[in-house]
Amino acid sequence: MTPGLAAGLRRWGVPLVWLGLLLLASLGMAELEAVFRWLEPDSREVIYRRTEFLTLLGRHLLVVGVASLLAIVAGVGAAVLVTRPFGRDFLPLVAQFASMGQTFPPVAVLALAVPVLGFGTLPIIVALLLYGLLPIVRNSLAGLQGIDPAVHEAARGMGMSRGQVLRQVELPLAAPVILAGVRTSVTINIATAALGATVGASNLGDPIISGIVNGNTAYIVQGALLIGLLALTVDSAFERLLGWRRIRFR
Amino acid sequence: MRRDAPRPNRVLPLLMLVALAAWLGLVAVSVAPNRIVPGTGFRAHEVVGWAGALGACLPPLAVAVLAWHPSPARLRHALVLIVLLLMALPAWLGLAATRLVDPELPQARLGLGSAFWVLLFLLLLALIELRSRLALSRLVGWVLLVPVLLAWWLALASWLEPLALLQEYRARSDQFATAVWHHLALVGAAVGASLVIGVALALLMRPHAGLQRAGFGVLNFLQTIPSLALFGLLLAPLAWLGANVEWLAALGVRGIGWAPALLALIGYSLLPMVRNTFVALEGVDPAVIESARGMGMSRRQVFLQVRLPLALPVILEGVRITTVQAIGLTAVAALIGAGGLGGFIFQGLGQAAMDLVLLGALPILVMALVADALLGALSERLHPGGAR
Repeated sequence: MTPGLAAGLRRWGVPLVWLGLLLLASLGMAELEAVFRWLEPDSREVIYRRTEFLTLLGRHLLVVGVASLLAIVAGVGAAVLVTRPFGRDFLPLVAQFASMGQTFPPVAVLALAVPVLGFGTLPIIVALLLYGLLPIVRNSLAGLQGIDPAVHEAARGMGMSRGQVLRQVELPLAAPVILAGVRTSVTINIATAALGATVGASNLGDPIISGIVNGNTAYIVQGALLIGLLALTVDSAFERLLGWRRIRFR
Repeated sequence: MRRDAPRPNRVLPLLMLVALAAWLGLVAVSVAPNRIVPGTGFRAHEVVGWAGALGACLPPLAVAVLAWHPSPARLRHALVLIVLLLMALPAWLGLAATRLVDPELPQARLGLGSAFWVLLFLLLLALIELRSRLALSRLVGWVLLVPVLLAWWLALASWLEPLALLQEYRARSDQFATAVWHHLALVGAAVGASLVIGVALALLMRPHAGLQRAGFGVLNFLQTIPSLALFGLLLAPLAWLGANVEWLAALGVRGIGWAPALLALIGYSLLPMVRNTFVALEGVDPAVIESARGMGMSRRQVFLQVRLPLALPVILEGVRITTVQAIGLTAVAALIGAGGLGGFIFQGLGQAAMDLVLLGALPILVMALVADALLGALSERLHPGGAR
């Protein structure tokens, strides 16, 4: 094994293990039929078969991924705009709203989105996007405003243009704080997307909801297991990413 | 331009222009003959005619103009206008109800359109903006909402009879009271229990570095697992306990119900509670502790009279985070039969009755905001040296 690969494996070992377990569980759930039969001896069916687990996982990832990507672009973009000279007027309002919006419970936001946007996958994406924006905006603002003005001035004094200062100084320095916000946002989104199963979006929340409705504990455990593994995979990946950032920019 | 002319405030004019576009362009209210049939949407000018709809644009335009040449006096005028506009919203709904809803049909109902929500949101943003520009305290901000709430209360009590939200409430006012009570009881029990356990854990972990790593590892792990999954995973073991342990069954522990909900809520609440307590106790300046010891205080006295009071605001910050989080999570707990306001949300989603969803979601939102404001104010007050 080359040293680079070994170092990479050491760094990404934990997320890779979780990812492996996640894939294994979504592909081989049927192999565990005996366990689920023991859990739920009276039900006719003990493995959720309405949709493949891998398909559900894919849909879950798609919804969270699209919403998170858009939220990152819009959130970091908004934070950059309101910290530029021409956007400063909007800074107090955006900062106050981003910190106040954190108190809105995700379920309530999701529920309020349905009357306005309707049932289905698109409303979920919009709701997740809007809600996921708040931690990203708040952390991006904190990161960008936390930079020592002297650093900014030194970069300008070296003859860098405003755009260069933003790209080569401000954003890299703020990156760890921004990434922490992205992590919060994605973690909340994975959980909230599962609730999307109650508003007509099909994803890993489906087996849980179906299990609760039909009183089938085996379904619930299957859905919960996969969502839990997905959350742990993503969260541990972010932890590695943050640890690595911290070392690089210390 | 005069030398002392202040820079124009561009935020308020932008908010007001978007508000006007929403007012003229989006559906303001919808009317349905009964609960099942989807409503017909009406724009503002379809209710009061173009003259009325355009006339209503004058106050927001005035706010925009006042803000373009801001001075404290002008911004105060703008603030008054915004509060008046917020008070006018229920009156506007009442007007729409008398014009559109047939009094012969007792089942007919008035729904809130997207224009209404956008307007409410933008007006509240304008209120926040003005409050921060005028450097008004939080308290004044809340006081400003009192006339608005009074206007709403008056409208709901007298002429908003056909409002769909109100009709849903009327149909289940007893259930609503029980749900609010259950919700608050679950949140209170979870926060109370996690406060006791959390402080105990933090004190236990303080002297042992190994225990700290392990403890925070477990709590972080718990916090990562989505609520729906954790509620689900707790169903099976608790159902087993309820079926096999007699005294637990007598207490009402079953797979479905308050037991798994409370357990999961406490599990989630522990991380912010332990972390804040820990940080708070560690954050006390060692020099202060040393001088207290030097004054001849015993360890116990130092802890109770110096460390704890100094740490209290940060611990309360943990209580605030935990409470707000628990209010939201309790809504999810309704899915496993724990009761509470989440029940209305999921019932409403199941029946595609959006006003029932609102009946659950709006109080949860209000509860979270009020809890956040109250506990935030309390922790500010407890800061050494009083309110900041």
